Amino acid sequence: MSESSLLDLPSGLVAFFMDLHEPRIPAVAVASGPCVYVYKNLRPYFKFTLPGLRVNTLEQDVWRQVREGQIDPLTLKEMLESVRKTADVPLSVRSLRFLSLDPDDMDDFVQLHKQQPIRRQTVITCIGTLKKSTADEDGVSCLVIGTESCDVFVLDPEAFIILSTMSLPAPPTMMDVTGQFDVEFRITVACRNGNIYILRRESEKPKYCIELSSHPVGLVRVGKNVVVGCADESLQGFTQKGKKLWTVLLPAPITTMASMELPTRGLQAVLVGLANCEVQLYRDKSLLSSIKTPEVVSSICFGRYGREDGTLIMTTKDGGLIVNILKRTASFEDRAAAAGPPLAQSVRLNVPKKTKLYVDQTLRERESGAAMHRAFQMDLSRLRLAAAGAYVKALESSLTPMSCRLSEPLKMNAVVQGLGPAFKLTLNVQNTAACRPVANLAVSFLYDESLYRMRTPYMRIPLLVPGVVYPVETFVECSSDKGISDIIKVFVLQEGSSAPLLSAHINMPVSEGLTIN
Amino acid sequence: MEVTMDPLFLAWSYFRRRKLQQCSDICTTILQDNSYDQAAWSLKTRALTEMVYIDEVEVDQEGIAEMMLDESSIAQVARPGTSLRLPGTSHGGGPTPAIRPLTQSGRPITGFVRPSTQSGRPGTMEQAIKTPRTASTARPVTSASGRFIRLGTASMLTNPEGPFINLSRLNMAKYSQKPNLSRTLFEYIFHHENDVNNALDLAAQATEHAQFKDWWWKVQLGKCYYRLGLYRESEKQFRSALNHQEVVDTYLYLAKVYQRLDQPITALSLFKQGLDHFPGEVTLLTGIARIHEEMNNIPSATEYYKDVLKQDNTHVEAIACIGSNHFYTDQPEIALRFYRRLLQMGVYNCQLYNNLGLCCFYAQQYDMTLSSFERALALVANDEEQADVWYNVGHVAVGIADLTLAYQCFKLALAFNNDHAEAYNNLAVLELRKGRIEQSKAFLQTAESLAPHMYEPHYNLSILSEKIGDLQSSYTAALKSEDSFPEHVDTQQLLKQLREHFSVL
Repeated sequence: MSESSLLDLPSGLVAFFMDLHEPRIPAVAVASGPCVYVYKNLRPYFKFTLPGLRVNTLEQDVWRQVREGQIDPLTLKEMLESVRKTADVPLSVRSLRFLSLDPDDMDDFVQLHKQQPIRRQTVITCIGTLKKSTADEDGVSCLVIGTESCDVFVLDPEAFIILSTMSLPAPPTMMDVTGQFDVEFRITVACRNGNIYILRRESEKPKYCIELSSHPVGLVRVGKNVVVGCADESLQGFTQKGKKLWTVLLPAPITTMASMELPTRGLQAVLVGLANCEVQLYRDKSLLSSIKTPEVVSSICFGRYGREDGTLIMTTKDGGLIVNILKRTASFEDRAAAAGPPLAQSVRLNVPKKTKLYVDQTLRERESGAAMHRAFQMDLSRLRLAAAGAYVKALESSLTPMSCRLSEPLKMNAVVQGLGPAFKLTLNVQNTAACRPVANLAVSFLYDESLYRMRTPYMRIPLLVPGVVYPVETFVECSSDKGISDIIKVFVLQEGSSAPLLSAHINMPVSEGLTIN
Repeated sequence: MEVTMDPLFLAWSYFRRRKLQQCSDICTTILQDNSYDQAAWSLKTRALTEMVYIDEVEVDQEGIAEMMLDESSIAQVARPGTSLRLPGTSHGGGPTPAIRPLTQSGRPITGFVRPSTQSGRPGTMEQAIKTPRTASTARPVTSASGRFIRLGTASMLTNPEGPFINLSRLNMAKYSQKPNLSRTLFEYIFHHENDVNNALDLAAQATEHAQFKDWWWKVQLGKCYYRLGLYRESEKQFRSALNHQEVVDTYLYLAKVYQRLDQPITALSLFKQGLDHFPGEVTLLTGIARIHEEMNNIPSATEYYKDVLKQDNTHVEAIACIGSNHFYTDQPEIALRFYRRLLQMGVYNCQLYNNLGLCCFYAQQYDMTLSSFERALALVANDEEQADVWYNVGHVAVGIADLTLAYQCFKLALAFNNDHAEAYNNLAVLELRKGRIEQSKAFLQTAESLAPHMYEPHYNLSILSEKIGDLQSSYTAALKSEDSFPEHVDTQQLLKQLREHFSVL
């Protein structure tokens, strides 16, 4: 066991052979921030830092003037802002940070930093390996690095100098590398703009481009084809020239993907970890197998582990590790796709039959339809009157828990919590107006003082911002031990008006607390 | 000369005619003359017990402590169809929430309110201490005893002359030797004084005196253990009592124990065993039907309720449950028949007229619809009933496209019952039609917080948020809707649409 701490979050990890020494021990390269740390024999071996980016000359000039004391921070801010608007080379992190500062902090910041030269540094987003000159399994490999500045670098494994630089239209997120650097190679890069670019030897710009309908979340090369998992729960296959071959819809979002190659049995397939706790195995577009896992799988690796050739290692979201070993007798055959009409077609719906009673009633309806209609209409007018009467009464006494006045559209509901004798009363008051706040409100309670005691029988409500629910809380204590309950009336009042805006009746629960022996 | 009746005989007569107060008064005078009159003493205990007696079988209240801190449950995730606690996992056949509304615990509402239909396990402590809409008391009780005091006993109401029997001075051992006194004394202690510990003490000594051969004492011991929450012990006592003597009551008590232990399958087989001995016993059949209903197996429940009706064709619970089942399976005309039967039997209350009105409306008997609601309104006993009637009138108004009336009705429902989540939801839809988005959203949010078990407010809020372009809230609301009603097709479609929207470039 050995532990080395990194300065920054790691963004990628690969193992590769960097020399031809015997015994053959691979090195581990960890990409973190702008650096690649190479470890050998579990010890730090080398650190490679990406070259700095070109710095805007105007910006440099401005900072030089600051250093010489020619301009003050405020002028600096103005000048930097004009540089930012016009220049084609973006500002450095220092200048951007400076622009976001408060005027008070500017002086200190300038004093602290003006002596250092300006640098612009990028970070690594993904890392891969590429065989140098031989296709052997233990041949020397180059590191391939994708950066935030939309570049792809190929590094020499021994000298750690940049052998080749390629640029992309967008920052890369995932990459897959195949071939040999000295012969011919292909780098397939998924980028943050949702496109996939294919880079080849001897070309600084991408050769082919695949435009996806959704963001790529996984990229795996199978033979000469590329399989891409997308955020819209689909798996898509492309040729190495970017032609789409097939699409499979998956039952759940993809969490991770990996390739599974068994050269002894001629199997080349893709493992897809899904968010519904499943790992599915696809050969082209046909599902070969699926494994249920106890948790959502976050990463997958298939390959040789110890003496076992076919080992599947999975890590789970909650930090678990699952190791599966392939059965020697396992057969990988396509599952026959179900043919014919969908199952739902043969399901009979349970529709209740119309009863004889119903038929009889329709007869009655047919015979005395007019009379029924008249009776209904008469009842309806009566009921309308009754409803309108009750409604007016409720409005006049502001019984409803919502106010209908245009100037103060309010709504309230009350929740009682507790078992007694102490209850917590929460009034949720909300202003339902579109944009106007309501102020100067108060809440008062009406209750039987022989039964209840209230801590704050009168409260002022703060200004109500539209759309936000304001919980107003108070405590009620039941002072009776007879097991009886009563109604507490709540009124929301406005300053200067005697009629309440709205009121609510709270049926208090029976206090249970006193009866426990 | 006037011939006076023997006072003890008079007391007996009063007792038989259920004039319990007079009976107890006479006994008191007899006891003042001769405080060792055992007959009068025994009669007085019986009279006092009868005054507050409640059927022990029917009362079943699960306290908050039993619900939330339950250690007798074996499997937290029971297999489908074996538990009363996961109503959603029963073997289907029940109507979906789109057709038959659910209670807070996720069961379809029943046609008959009894103590256990209102309860159900709240998912969280928050839900447990909140006062639900269906009952006017804070339903989950702190402990079993709390509820029984209010329902049955008189010990809380102070007696000016002090208690009739001073339990602390009672010589339990002495009384347990006297079989003719000990039973009435036990019932008095158990029902009137609600002192389970002393009752248990007496029962234990008495059963010992009877050489463990008396089934009655074993049942009483079982009742005491049940009250104390010692379900396994009470099961043992009831089982042993059944070995001595087959009694229907014992079967019912034992089934109650199994239900409390969340073993509905055992309870069902026990009921069936009981039916072998007492074929056609109504209480046993009702018990089976209730368990089926609680396990969301409505078709079997209806079958058993029909069996109940074959034995007792005036069984209100069976008629009401079958009626409501017909109503929710799209046969309101048959439901109407059942409710009419209840009316003929003399059930005359607001709920019945309310149901009749709804059945008439959906069976297209329009001339009777509104008059039924009018009667229901005239018969309301409290604000909650009034709110429910107005809510249903609102539904009828929506059905005849009179939106003004519907609006007024839903608002009235809210005026009478501030926590009517369904009314909030419907009002929100009406407000949305009027184009008042802010109001509508506020109402939906209230409905959501009042009744998190209903899928409608979540779904409506999801649609509304989607319309105004707030896709994130729409998605969260749709997820909540899916949570409470996973099979809802519209929610699924909306979710699919939203997911597509999120993943598209």
